[in-house]
Amino acid sequence: MTDRIRPADAAACARAVAESAAASRSLRVRGAGTKDYLGEVLPADAVLDTTALAGVVAHVPGDLTVTVAAGMRFAEVRSALARAGQFLPLDPPHADAATIGGIVAANSTGFWRSRYGGVRDLLIGTTAVLGDGTVARSGGRVVKNVAGYDLNKLFVGSLGTLGVLVECTFKVLPRPPATAGAHAQFARSADAFAAADAIVRTSARPAALAISGGPGGAWELLLQADGDAAPVERTLELFSQSARAQGTSAQRHEGLPAVLATMNDVSARGDGAVVRAALPLAAQPAFASTAARLEGFTQLVADAASGIVRVVLRGDDAVVIGGVDALLAAARVCGGSGRIERRPDSLRARLRAWGDAEPAGLFLMRRLKEAFDPRGILEPGRSAAG
Amino acid sequence: MTVRAGLRGAPLVSALIDLLGTEKVLGTREDLLIYEFDGAVDTATPDAVVLPNDTADVAKLSRFCHQHDVPIVPRGAGTGLSGGAIPVEGGVVVSFARMSRILEIDAPNMRAVVQPGLVNLHLSTAAAPYGLYFVPDPSSQKACTIGGNVAENSGGPHTLAYGVTTNHVTGLELVLSDGTVVRLGGKAVEYEGYDLIGAFVGSEGTLGIVTEITVRLTPLPEDKRTILAAFPTIDGASETVSAIIGAGIVPSAIELMDQLATEAVEAAVGAGYPLDAGGILLMEVDGLRDGLDEAATRIEEICRANGATTLRRAATTLERDRLWAGRKGAFAAMGRLAPAYYVQDGVIPRTRLPEVLRTVRDVAQRHGVRIANVFHAGDGNLHPLILFAKESELEGVKQAGLEILEACVAAGGSITGEHGVGMEKNCFMPLQFTADDLATMGRVKSAFDPAGLANPGKIFPTPGRCREFQLAARR
Ligand SMILES: Cc1cc2nc3c(=O)[nH]c(=O)nc-3n(C[C@H](O)[C@H](O)[C@H](O)COP(=O)(O)OP(=O)(O)OC[C@H]3O[C@@H](n4cnc5c(N)ncnc54)[C@H](O)[C@@H]3O)c2cc1C
Repeated sequence: MTDRIRPADAAACARAVAESAAASRSLRVRGAGTKDYLGEVLPADAVLDTTALAGVVAHVPGDLTVTVAAGMRFAEVRSALARAGQFLPLDPPHADAATIGGIVAANSTGFWRSRYGGVRDLLIGTTAVLGDGTVARSGGRVVKNVAGYDLNKLFVGSLGTLGVLVECTFKVLPRPPATAGAHAQFARSADAFAAADAIVRTSARPAALAISGGPGGAWELLLQADGDAAPVERTLELFSQSARAQGTSAQRHEGLPAVLATMNDVSARGDGAVVRAALPLAAQPAFASTAARLEGFTQLVADAASGIVRVVLRGDDAVVIGGVDALLAAARVCGGSGRIERRPDSLRARLRAWGDAEPAGLFLMRRLKEAFDPRGILEPGRSAAG
Repeated sequence: MTVRAGLRGAPLVSALIDLLGTEKVLGTREDLLIYEFDGAVDTATPDAVVLPNDTADVAKLSRFCHQHDVPIVPRGAGTGLSGGAIPVEGGVVVSFARMSRILEIDAPNMRAVVQPGLVNLHLSTAAAPYGLYFVPDPSSQKACTIGGNVAENSGGPHTLAYGVTTNHVTGLELVLSDGTVVRLGGKAVEYEGYDLIGAFVGSEGTLGIVTEITVRLTPLPEDKRTILAAFPTIDGASETVSAIIGAGIVPSAIELMDQLATEAVEAAVGAGYPLDAGGILLMEVDGLRDGLDEAATRIEEICRANGATTLRRAATTLERDRLWAGRKGAFAAMGRLAPAYYVQDGVIPRTRLPEVLRTVRDVAQRHGVRIANVFHAGDGNLHPLILFAKESELEGVKQAGLEILEACVAAGGSITGEHGVGMEKNCFMPLQFTADDLATMGRVKSAFDPAGLANPGKIFPTPGRCREFQLAARR
């Protein structure tokens, strides 16, 4: 894998992909490379590097939308928007280095999803180069739009297998006037989830309700509240009440954003395996106790308001493999789904990223893959859908 | 128009009766009459109507239609405003009137599982005892179905802050046009693989039929403040929308009505809107009760600074409901002004509101028609209601509508924000999309519906019906 193609605009990207298709040359689509560990990373003939596709294409603050080239770093988009008092309400892992295209293609979210929406909810327009070099646009630059199929959704989480994103448009928001953090510790994971659940059922809509725990130690529930000062204060009060109802007390937490960012980057650390499960909300406590009983259990991090739970497992190969299998099965049994987000290179061959389960509608996904990438040159085999 | 060779007319009706039984099939002239139209202006007669009881019926029907080359057109309540449920190529209309149950309200997981024929409002009513509701609230919510909402990706006044239908669907059961049943998603926020649910929502029945839907339920806001602001001119009202958003405030709803719309609403509903205003804004903030008064006051201050002459805050639930009844009854109220109306549905970036509303006014003048405006101003989703009296005026009215859409696209917007493309705007798709864009959507269509039997003649430009438009565009 030596070739590197680094197109500077959509037309150059389309040409490069069309040439690769003609030559049946497979492409790894890569932004900053922060998520090289995701999915089944099979060998490819060349790397299509998106980082020259950079810059803000359009930002009219009053429209609350922004259009950016897909190779632009998230951190740069964040600073550009901050200058207008706005933000793109995503808190993806690897936030400092990741590119916009990579965030969309990997469906990267953190803890803000329940309040602000995930990538699928914020992305309103895309321009992508399909596997045969066709430049296809979907959506647009307006916040409401039902003209034609919503292809944007297909690219979210597609891991580059359906097309190379060259431009993305998002909804953005004014920065909240106030933000505050608090945390509370619980002896049992179930109590932390119960306290979180009490908040989820109110109309407080906290920005983050994150849970973190490890073997033996306490379980921590962290809350971030965004908005006007009065509802933020009230949300903190509700949080204290729900902590008290579970027999503990809540404290303000000034350094919350840094703590959340570290928790969010559990998958960035190379050792051990990380399973990521999306679960029905009420299934989280049972899933957490299953995780905590596993031999290699090292850490659990949950976006408790969305039901997205990540579990870190460490130990010898047999322990990790057994733990991963148990967690993927548990996720399925309770009506959710899961994947192996990261595993040691030594286990790549023995642990498939999606386990043994086929996603529902796989035959449709395969037809879409074939329709969008007829020669099968884009990230072959990388996603659950091929 | 493609002419299919498949089974039609009386032989189709009797074959369907053999397949499903008489009680599930309608085929007489009178029975079919009410399925000729929906909420829009186009009509076409189906060969037969089928009323399935369950998914198995739909699968059986689809398999049969696939074998016999019969188009299949799903239909909810028929309130659609783009001719989506009209069988433009004939065939079978599938009505979900008998698949209208709530299968489950799962309060712990904050989900509901429903059949497609369920009326939108019934879901929120049933969820209320659990402190939950279904966010998408189209103004037609007393009649329209969740299946229709999924097909159109419907919005409503409160989707400004909380998202449209696609943001609230986590699971679907589909029957593809060959009869294959696929269950996608469930009660978690996402599942592995491509987001097929995301691609399906808004596909207007052209990718298949949805037979079961899992939706997200949301905690009811603890409290709300509803504000009516009246402005001497519509420009004043539309500039205020930008000013509110510019001040960093995103209310849960901002709706705008012009004087003509207000006149109709007052005559029909008596919502208490001032009749002398050039433009009215109806706005709401909701959530925890703390800070709502301050937020409402800030909005009122911005309105005042932008020339609002009347400001009223609903003091009771009754007052709030009355203010909203006016807005939700606005389309129906047009009957007070003219025998008929044609609704357009374009979207523009919100900062372009004042300018595009002026273009709408110019279009009205040029065509000598009256246009009332009632719309979701917060997200730039225009609904010009073009009034007319006689069938013979329809062509001119449609032309006026098209000119408004062209202005929306020129401003960087879209030809439809929530009513869909259907058979009404399929010829206009090239205004917004390149041939490659449309061909890419065509690839999705072929992946789901290779036979092309799922609601044909919708979304994509059809050579027959669109030829005239293409000629006009070239001129
Ligand atoms: C007075 C009035 C106000 C309105 N206000 C709004 C508004 O505020 N916001 C908004 O978004 N819309 C609004 N609408 C438009 C309309 O109500 C919505 O599009 C609604 O979702 C249509 O639902 P329905 O059940 O009537 O669908 P129908 O009109 O019966 O069908 C609409 C489309 O859905 C497809 N369909 C129906 N059922 C299924 C199924 N089970 N599987 C697959 N496809 C299916 C049909 O084929 C058709 O293409 C309004 C309409 C009226 C008349």
